[in-house]
Amino acid sequence: MKLGLVASLTLAAGILMIGFPLAAHHGNVAYDTSKAVILKGATVTKFVWANPHVFIMFEAKNDKGDVLHWAGEAGSPSALGPLGWSSSTLQPGDVITVYIYQSKTGNPVGRLNRIVLADGTVLKDSALGYRDE
Amino acid sequence: MRTSSIGAIAGVVALALSSIVLAQDAVPGLTGVPQRPTTLYNKLDAAGGKAGPAPRRDLSGSWTGPLEPLKLGDVPALTPLGQQRFKLNIPDPFRAHSNDPWATCDPFGFPRSTTNETRGVTFAPLPGRLAIMTQYGRIWRTVWMDGRELPKNVGARGGPDPRWYGYSVGHWEGDYTLVVDTTGVNDKTWVDRRGYPHSVDMRAQERYTRVDHDTLELTVTVDDPKIYTKPFVAVTNRFKWIPNQEDEEQFCVPSEMIDYIKIIALPAGQEAVTGQK
Repeated sequence: MKLGLVASLTLAAGILMIGFPLAAHHGNVAYDTSKAVILKGATVTKFVWANPHVFIMFEAKNDKGDVLHWAGEAGSPSALGPLGWSSSTLQPGDVITVYIYQSKTGNPVGRLNRIVLADGTVLKDSALGYRDE
Repeated sequence: MRTSSIGAIAGVVALALSSIVLAQDAVPGLTGVPQRPTTLYNKLDAAGGKAGPAPRRDLSGSWTGPLEPLKLGDVPALTPLGQQRFKLNIPDPFRAHSNDPWATCDPFGFPRSTTNETRGVTFAPLPGRLAIMTQYGRIWRTVWMDGRELPKNVGARGGPDPRWYGYSVGHWEGDYTLVVDTTGVNDKTWVDRRGYPHSVDMRAQERYTRVDHDTLELTVTVDDPKIYTKPFVAVTNRFKWIPNQEDEEQFCVPSEMIDYIKIIALPAGQEAVTGQK
């Protein structure tokens, strides 16, 4: 018997979720917001202008000189638009500076504070971009 | 193997969509951290200024809101049927067993389109009717203004079918308040994000009052004797006139959510932080 896609997804989601409670809930913070990590010379690999949140994928070297593949999220397109962002803000290959609140897991993922483009343009995030880091 | 891979995708979808919920109140991963969201409506609200008088019997144009968090009403005692239905609805897609229709980007239906997100609303008069278009999800409802009555037998044999947004008629009370009555809403939809149910026979009323040129207040009342022991206010909301009339776009997009969760939310380890496995 072949289940329809939706039926399969629904069933599978049900099975999965019963045994696998997911995700953050009240009063928890995934990101270390005490201090932003500053990543200079970051090279953009992909810029995703999407809901619920815009995110940037980029490469940056750590202290040892190893290249890490990062992902940094910002606000929604409608929240970033008034702050000067657009879907054409970044292209793969752009070199930028990234101020980011990293995941407490230590994974190279986080919430942006702001980015600085090669021409010096500063683009702040809609949530914590008001902070000077 | 096939089932498990589908399960993984579905789980990702469910988690992804659930993040929308937090997105309204706070940013996922930043719950509890003071934020200054910059949005069109906050900017307008902050701008303030002195508005002129409201034009007579005219809401046409685009509005943005809520200007502050939506106020959901206090729900009265449910009937036995209402209790039975309410128990089946498990809100908050962040919870393991949630069955919120939002978790799969299903249509909000009415009145949830007025109690959840909204982001903005546009009124577009047409001959004999009025289109009310809600920004979040690009929801388009038709409100008949030609004096017709609402259908009385929706969902019954020989009657019209229930619809996601039901059947709506409207009229003016005085010069500044538009009253819209709706019935015949598909009962798969919820009244709000808390999971309150309704029947197809629910009568819901929106009252839009244009306080001045730039300010619009909305109160939505639900009357559903099959489910609730008395009528109640489902939500109050406030909208601001958009000076340049350029509204925004916002959708619940499953494929984008899948990417967001795969690339951001899961690696960020939000479940690890909560202590849940």
